[in-house]
Parts: sequence; structure tokens; C-alpha cells
Amino acid sequence: MSTPSKRTQWREDLQHLRKEHGFSKKVLLNCCLVRRIITWASPNPKDSVEDELELSAVRHRPEGLEQLEAQTRFSRKELQILYRGFKNECPSGVVNEDTFKDIYAQFFPQGDASTYAHFLFNAFDTDHNGSVSFEDFVMGLSILLRGTVQEKLNWAFNLYDINKDGYITKEEMLDIMKAIYDMMGKCTYPVLKEETPRQHVEIFFQKMDKNKDGVVTIDEFIDCCQNDENIMRSMHLFENVI
Amino acid sequence: MAAGVAAWLPFARAAAIGWMPVASAPMPVPPKDKRRAKDGLIVLNVSGTKFQTWRNTLERYPDTLLGSTERDFFYHEESNEYFFDRDPDIFRHILNFYRTGKLHYPRHECISAYDEELAFFGIIPEIIGDCCYEEYKDRRRENQERIQDDEEIDQSNDMVQQDMTFRESMWRAFENPHTSTMALVFYYVTGFFIAVSVLANVVETVPCGTAPNRVKEVSCGERYALAFFCLDTACVMIFTVEYLLRLLAAPSRYKFVKSVMSIIDVVAIMPYYIGLVMTDNEDVSGAFVTLRVFRVFRIFKFSRHSAGLRILGYTLKSCASELGFLLFSLTMAIIIFATVMFYAEKGSSGSKFTSIPAAFWYTIVTMTTLGYGDMVPKTIIGKIFGSICSLSGVLVIALPVPVIVSNFSRIYHQSQRAEKRRAQKKTRLARIRAVKSGGANAYLQYKRNGLLIDADEEAGQALVCKTNPTFDIQHHHLLHCLEKTTNHEFVDEKTYEESCMEVSMVKQTSRSSSISSSPHGLTCCSRRKRKSFNVPNSNMSVGLQGSVQELSTIQIRERPISNSRSSLNAKFEETVPLNCDQPYITAAVISMPTPPVTTPEGDESASSTDYSQANIVRVSAL
Repeated sequence: MSTPSKRTQWREDLQHLRKEHGFSKKVLLNCCLVRRIITWASPNPKDSVEDELELSAVRHRPEGLEQLEAQTRFSRKELQILYRGFKNECPSGVVNEDTFKDIYAQFFPQGDASTYAHFLFNAFDTDHNGSVSFEDFVMGLSILLRGTVQEKLNWAFNLYDINKDGYITKEEMLDIMKAIYDMMGKCTYPVLKEETPRQHVEIFFQKMDKNKDGVVTIDEFIDCCQNDENIMRSMHLFENVI
Repeated sequence: MAAGVAAWLPFARAAAIGWMPVASAPMPVPPKDKRRAKDGLIVLNVSGTKFQTWRNTLERYPDTLLGSTERDFFYHEESNEYFFDRDPDIFRHILNFYRTGKLHYPRHECISAYDEELAFFGIIPEIIGDCCYEEYKDRRRENQERIQDDEEIDQSNDMVQQDMTFRESMWRAFENPHTSTMALVFYYVTGFFIAVSVLANVVETVPCGTAPNRVKEVSCGERYALAFFCLDTACVMIFTVEYLLRLLAAPSRYKFVKSVMSIIDVVAIMPYYIGLVMTDNEDVSGAFVTLRVFRVFRIFKFSRHSAGLRILGYTLKSCASELGFLLFSLTMAIIIFATVMFYAEKGSSGSKFTSIPAAFWYTIVTMTTLGYGDMVPKTIIGKIFGSICSLSGVLVIALPVPVIVSNFSRIYHQSQRAEKRRAQKKTRLARIRAVKSGGANAYLQYKRNGLLIDADEEAGQALVCKTNPTFDIQHHHLLHCLEKTTNHEFVDEKTYEESCMEVSMVKQTSRSSSISSSPHGLTCCSRRKRKSFNVPNSNMSVGLQGSVQELSTIQIRERPISNSRSSLNAKFEETVPLNCDQPYITAAVISMPTPPVTTPEGDESASSTDYSQANIVRVSAL
């Protein structure tokens, strides 16, 4: 409705009109009544305009190709291909978590990939501003596809460490494990049981937690992984994905 | 998966590194990526319009033409591009599908052209996006209906008489009166009697002046009772006969008995028979009088004669839900307003609103804006509510009516379209037939011209060059090969009909009226040789090939000079553009059993092909 300033303004107008033209009070009141009805009936246009501005402001242009080339290990052509795919799916230039979850969910139709996508999103969103821009995306991919084993393991540790405190606790690992098993869906062979993720976490901790203090630190993690042949081999699996 | 999302697959695979440390088993070997880093631009030249896109864009959908190696077939080395001789306007949409992952259907395009393009490029239409899918399905359905209608008409027209049993032909006569004159006569006679019967029922009740020994006025039915009875009997006889015939002819008697029209028929004639059975019983004569009401159902028999009536019935059936809603909302409103009016008028003296059901009558009359005036509210509050009632009545009735009207309009236009198509079909068929016969005649003329070549080289060649471009020559060669293969020849209709009549006279059908059985090559000189054989052999072969041959030789001799080559040539001067398939169709005449013609016969070269007289006596069984 009208702000106090508007009301005083009207009052002044009213008095002015009364004095000048000798209108009766009743007429003027009726006039004001009509205006009030009109302002009440018509919605305030200010809010919708602001909303629109907000939406259009979310548009991100990435840094130049040269800078990205310097910062990542992708070639110019590869960056071009990556950006084209990125921009196609997210014309505004940034991915928010819902879109991220949608995209990732399309690759796992049988299960529920939203939880794992949430963790992934946090792993990619390095500056924690709620959206993944192309730079974040490309940096992450650079590590995953072209990084050293050390960097990859670092990234994986970062993924598992949900609260980013440098330690992986059993609860965190359980969350991650459940998220991964969720992606499998219901129809699996053998049938997924309730305690499967928990058992898996136990196995993981048995392997990784050297000093048995209930948490896994980054050094324990990297040491252990480097000693495991399977893990080492699998790190090189997706090298030529781009 | 949308195309854009496919671009995120590398990301999804990279993110799988997150599973590695917790994996309980070794990972499988990744698939080999054969082609990599070759993301060049591809130029697609579609009938001159150049489209360019990334190679990867096309390869998003590897099971389509553009995404697979199938496109290599269209690669044009000189210009280093892929050339497609298709419609560029529709191609635009197909390429957009690769780019955005959504296939759209342009409304202004013909549905079959669009379908063809989709089929060519290997894209299934089911992936059309939601925005365009409904429109696409509607248009497709319409097209299917059109094709179905045409096929039905074709079938009904082309069904050969002798294939059907008497029962089937009778049923067909009943269903489509236009097929034979008998059916048409029957149709009009029944229509006439329906009209007469209904009229008689109506006139029966008109007061006809006083009878000589009565004071009161009597109706015509009582005055001329005998006449009306005779008329009624005649009509019922006709209807009974018609019903029994239909029942006899129906392919599925049970289905026929269940159908609406047959029920109407039964209801129309039952009262008469029931009346016959119980005329003199006083107790049931009251019921008998009521039964006569059912005679009015005879008017529904007219729906067989009128398409409009059928459409109306069909519309009402298809709008059943809207009508139901209308009825329901009206009932609600009636009850509400009747209750209100009853209580509003309860106080006033001498009010006609004695009970709520009594008020129903007032509400209905008011809501439908009839306003008889036999019940009117007298209190003020009654009048207020009465006016609200009439205002709301208009609204409630006006709402579902447009839906019903639009349904009726749609169905009516559909039937109009069907009628128009049927009418146009005749001219269309005539046009097609003309083209077909033109094509066949072109070939026949070519054969004659081919002979012309040996007879008169220069003139023949001149004629050939004028009327036979390369395509035609090759096509004719093809037809000739077919003739050789089947040992039959193409003929024109007249000759076929004549030979048909003659064949029907012949007892023996074993010998085929076969053809240029001489396995001669297609060279002109061989024709010449054959031609020279023709005349003498026509006499010889009589004995060899039986009576059919005999007749054909007789036929040759009897053929008048007017049927000479020149006149026929003059007739076939117009060279209608050939359509490859048509000569086959027209020339597919009687399928007579053709025993394989052995070479000894062949040498004597059947007399039939007496081209010189332009009488191709032989029929070809394709």
C-alpha cells in the first residue's frame, strides 16, 4: 500500500485542493478513496522488475582461452570442445546444483544419483559459491584426466572429506558409500542389503586407517592407495576420455 | 539422452575416479576410442544449401545416417563435402535435432514428406519433442484416415463380382446402395415406405369430420380404419422382408442383431405383430395403444438413408461426457433453486409451489428461459431468486454447448472431407488410368517402333528419336526383359478384352496364348527374322498350340484394316511421361496358366506377335 510519505503527500494535496478550488471534503475523500482502491488493486510493478534483473544478472563469461590453457593441462582444441558442450547444456554459463544433479542423474537412470551428485558438486565448486562455472569445471576435469596420481588422489580425498576438515570419518565415508550404492538402484544382483554400505566402509577403514584412530588422514590415504596395485591401475583408466 | 548431456559424458567418466579408491574389485578395461581429436567441420550440401556443423555434433547419434559411416556413401570428393539430394527446408530441422537433441515438426510441411525425410536420415519420429508431438500425431492420424478411406473405396470398387458369394454381394448391396441398380431401387423403395408409414401414423390422428352415425368428431384413423390397416400391413411386410434379408446377408449375424439399426428395425415392426396377436383382448388394449407409440421409431430408420442423421447420432455419442456434465450441473442447479423457491414462496397464500418437486417444474422452465407463466413467484424474495435462477440458467446451458457444437462440426467436416475425397477420387483415378494407359501404350508403340527400325531404318529411327529419350529406351528395354522372362507380352485393353471373350469360349485353358517365345535377342535383325516367320507360322502353329491359338489366328485374320499400325500410331501419338510401375499394373491382365514354353516351340515363334498388324493378341500374365 502507500508509504507514509505518500499519505502525507496526499494530505497536503487535499488541503491544497480544498483551499484553491473550494471542493467539499466529501468529494475529495471520495477521490482519494478511488485512488486508494486503484493502488490496492494494481500490484506493485517494482518487485517483478527486480526479479527479472536478478535472473538476467546470473550470466557468466569464462576467462580467456589463453588463461585457461595456462591453468589447465588441456589443449586449446580440447578446451573448445569442452566449452561447447558446457555452454550447450548451460547457456547461462554456470551450473547450479539442481542442474548438475539432473545432468548426472541422466547417466544413471536406474538409481538415484542425486546424493553423489551433491558431493561431486561440492568437490567441483572449489570456491563454494553455490554454482560451478566453466573454470571450476575445467579445473576439476584437468586434475581428473590429466593430473598426476598424487593430484587425483588428493581430489578423491577432497571428495570424501565432506566437511573439508582434513579427516575422513566413518560417518562421512558411510554417507559417500551410501550415495554410491544409491546410484545402483534397486534391481541389483545380488540384492542390496541394508548393511552392505556399512560393511564396505569397514573394509575401507581396515585398509586405509593405519593407526586405527577411527579417521583417515590425507597421508594415510595417499600412502595406502599408492601401495594398492588395483587402485593405481584404475587411476589411469580415463586418461584419454577427452 | 539429450545431445547436450552426451557432451557431459567425459565429465561423468572423469568423476568416476571418485569411486576408484573405494572400489572392491579391479576396474574393467576402458573401451578403445578409435577416432579422437579430429573434430573438424563437416560441410553438408543439401540440394545446394550448405550446412556446416562439427563432426562430433553429427556423431552424437551413431544410429542415424549422418552419425554413422553411412554418410560416407554421400561423400563427394571433388567438392570435399557430403551431398544429399533432399529437401533443404526439412533438413534444417533434422540438423537442429543433432544440435539441440530435440526434433521439431514444422507445421507448414506435409506430413508424408516429413516422414520420408526422417526415414531417409534414419531418425525415428517418436523422439519428436513434446512441443510438436501432438500436432505431428494429429496430422499423421488424419493422413492415415485419408489413406484408409481411399483403400476402402478401392477395395469396395475393385472387388470382382464373381469372387463374392451371393450372401456377400447382397450385404454389400445393402450397405452401399450405389453399387448396383437393384440396390438403389431397394434403397429408394424402403425409404418411400418409411416415409409413407410415418405419414400414415401422423394422419391417423387428425380429426376427419363426423362419421355419418356419430355425433363426435372422429380421427381419420377410426374413419378409414381398413385403409390404414392395409397400409400399415404393407409397410410392415416390406420392413419385415428387409430385416430378414439383412439378417440373412449379414456376415456376422450376432453382431448385426446387436447393432442399433437392427434394434430400431425390430422396435418399429414389433407393435404390429403384437397387435395382431392380441387384438380382441380388452384388458391389454390399453397397453396395445401404448405400443403404437413405438411405431414412431420408424422414423429412425431414415438414418440409414441420411448421413447427416448418422453424424448427429455419432456426435451425441461422442459428446456423452459433455452432455453428462451438462445434465449433472443442471440437476444440481434445479435442486438448489427449487428448494430456495419453495421456501421463499412458502409464506404466500395460494402459491403453486406446493412442494419442492413441484418447484422443479418452475425451475426448469425458468432456467431454459421458457417461462410458461403457469407458476410465478409472488413474494419479493421469490422474485429475486427467480431472476437469479433465470440468469444462471442461461450460463449453465451455454457452457457445454460450444463443446458439443465443435465436436459436431469436426465430425461433420470429416465426413464432408471424406465425401469430397470420394468425388475427387473418381477424377483422380481417371487421371491415373490415363497416365497408366499412356505409359503402357508408349511401350507398345515402342515395340512397334522397334520393328519399324528393321522395316524402315531411317524413318523408324527418326520416329524413335523423337518419341523415346534415353530414359524411355532403357525403360522399354527393361519391360522387354520382363516379357522375355515371363514369356508373356504387354497388350492394350481392347485386345485384352477381346481375347478375354474368346478365351471364355474356349474349353481348353491349358495352352497359354503365349508370346514371342522365340528366345531372340533384342537386336533388330532378330525381330526381322521373327517377323518373317510370323505369317507362315500363324498357320502352322495352329496345330501345335491348340484351339486358343486357332482363335487368335482367326482373330488376326479377322482384324480389320482400320486397326492398322498407322491409325494406332496416330492414336498414341501423345507420349505421356512414364511412371515405372504403371505398365506393369495395367498390363496385369488375366492370369492364365502358362506352361513353360520350350525351345522347339520357341523356334517356330508363336504367331501371336504379329506386330505388323498392330494386333497384340497375347495377354501377359504378370
